[in-house]
Amino acid sequence: MTDHHDEGATSGDELDLRPRTDATDTTPPTRRRSWGAYALLGLVGVAIVAVLGIALTQATVFFYNVDEALERQAELGDDTFRMQGSVVTETEVRDDGALLFTIGFDGEQADIVHVGDEPSDLFEVGIPVVVQGRWETDGHFLSEQILVKHSETYEAENQDRLDDAYDGADG
Amino acid sequence: MTSIAVPPSAPEHTGSRLTRVLGAATAVSWVVWLTYGLVLSPADVVQSESVRLFYLHVPLALSAYLGFTVTLVGSILVLRKNSAFWDQMAGAGAEVGLVLAGLVLVTGALWGRPTWGTYWVWDPRITATTLLFLVYLGYLVVRRLDLDAEVRARRAAVFGIVAFINVPITRYSVQIWNSLHQEATLSLTDTEMDGSQLTSFALGAIAMALFTTWLIIHRFRVGWLEYELDRSGLESAILERRGERTATEVV
Repeated sequence: MTDHHDEGATSGDELDLRPRTDATDTTPPTRRRSWGAYALLGLVGVAIVAVLGIALTQATVFFYNVDEALERQAELGDDTFRMQGSVVTETEVRDDGALLFTIGFDGEQADIVHVGDEPSDLFEVGIPVVVQGRWETDGHFLSEQILVKHSETYEAENQDRLDDAYDGADG
Repeated sequence: MTSIAVPPSAPEHTGSRLTRVLGAATAVSWVVWLTYGLVLSPADVVQSESVRLFYLHVPLALSAYLGFTVTLVGSILVLRKNSAFWDQMAGAGAEVGLVLAGLVLVTGALWGRPTWGTYWVWDPRITATTLLFLVYLGYLVVRRLDLDAEVRARRAAVFGIVAFINVPITRYSVQIWNSLHQEATLSLTDTEMDGSQLTSFALGAIAMALFTTWLIIHRFRVGWLEYELDRSGLESAILERRGERTATEVV
């Protein structure tokens, strides 16, 4: 240890700027903290790669519109995928609890049999939805999940009354 | 025990006239925003009361982008001027932006359940926002690596510039790919939103931007004090050893 200490000894006008060791200092070594940071960076890197994998396999083709899904029906076979369209018929409830309705997009329509959880309260005729499931051999789509796709349009309740109130105040 | 050298010019806190004015403006804007957006403005025809999350969710996202933009500008100036000032500013922007991006994901999930029917789905917008969060988390870890301060600052700056590519990708992900997330409601040419809702959103955007700016300034000042402390600690150590050597020579 002494030799080691002497190796860095200074001579002449140079100032010894090496860190001093202090027996009473209980701070963990800097190197250990550094490994922690590198380990965390590695974990973040793994998480980024995992999410990128999801992005490339799922997110970029999140759904097909009804017309695209019909066009690719043979290619899709019994693969599970998502399909988007607006609800065009009132929903019927079958004896076994399955929901029956039709969705359409760009003039094409698909009959849906939904056997999964209930959709959100926003589900109704005219609203766009994304259904996840697969084509059945008889031509209908067997859905396991319904996601309601809200449009970018927002409309306040009683906005006309608010507008009238403002107009009245101006007049 | 190692004594901590405090810079003689160090202030007792990170406040100033600027931050006090900004803080007061932030407080007033939050009261106005929350009162109008959460209480006085009407609910939405389709979404009902859950529309009020929109007034929080979108301003959070815009302010996160603001924080990451500060990181981008700071990082560019670190590489151009080798500036410790801008290194601290870049770090402050990323820290605040990261917290806000995390809140964007949380508020989005809370909005998604009553609207979409699920808290989480790997659609392009959510996936891009998650990536954005992770990339800036990585940036902050790089800032804590045990490297020479100048090397670390330059590596973080390169990371901070590359990371920003994710901001426009996230912003335009709903237009580039088929997404469950709706497309932009607000644009310069077309806004699909009623007046009272637009007012609620605008108040939220202003209030959150003021708060974000206030936070970034304070976080920057904390970082700057830490930097000054490190520097003055080194200077104190040098002075101490010079004093020891002089004393030895005299003896």
